[in-house]
Amino acid sequence: MLADLFAHYNYWVVIALIMLGMYVVMANPNLVKKIIGLNIFQTAVFILYISMGELEGGTAPILSDAFTVYANPLPHVLILTAIVVGVATTALALALAVRIHRAYQTVEEDEIDAQDARDEALQ
Amino acid sequence: MRHHIIVRISTRILVPFILLFALYVQFHGDFGPGGGFQAGVIFGAGCILYGLVFGVDALMGVAPMAVVRSIAAGGVLLYALVGVAGLLAGGNYLDYGVLGATPVAGQHLGIMLIELGVGMTVAAVVISLFYGFTNR
Repeated sequence: MLADLFAHYNYWVVIALIMLGMYVVMANPNLVKKIIGLNIFQTAVFILYISMGELEGGTAPILSDAFTVYANPLPHVLILTAIVVGVATTALALALAVRIHRAYQTVEEDEIDAQDARDEALQ
Repeated sequence: MRHHIIVRISTRILVPFILLFALYVQFHGDFGPGGGFQAGVIFGAGCILYGLVFGVDALMGVAPMAVVRSIAAGGVLLYALVGVAGLLAGGNYLDYGVLGATPVAGQHLGIMLIELGVGMTVAAVVISLFYGFTNR
């Protein structure tokens, strides 16, 4: 039973990466590090889908006469689109971080909250 | 980066090979891992490496803002025109089979042109993102 638990170890890798990514997003006050944590989480989701499309003994899904068993190409195509979307989202998030830095002179979340609380108290 | 002579010399040696590898990935999308988006990102990364080591002004001398924007729009235009060419040849929009002498040749030509458009747009967008972050 223990052997079965670790036979599909790709799910354990996915769980570990999701926990790491979510911890970085929640626990780190720096905005840029939060974006990095989000990227780690994203990578975990990609690994989940691509590893689910793998067949035992299957080769890369490129047509060739020498092979009969191929891995499922559908997850590969979907995740390629998802990677493009991830790049665009990361660019937007970094642009927002740059704008916040220009407005507050810091990217630490607690200092931004302190400045907002001060502005709120002054109004 | 004036003092880092090793970085400068190795970048000067490596950047042509990075761009060449991007072209290899672009045109071997049918037969191996690759295609438009991957090749565009590799090409953009090669240009950004040059811009990081030698200065954004050096990169702007090679790839001015207006040229980069035109290439980005041109890639999308190429994609749309391949679709219209399918219409003019008698098939549906983005029907590759009618573009060549045989359906297989038409698929080859259609996919190659489409991936070229995607690669052009992605490389230009990546470089213009770099320009957007460095031009305050």
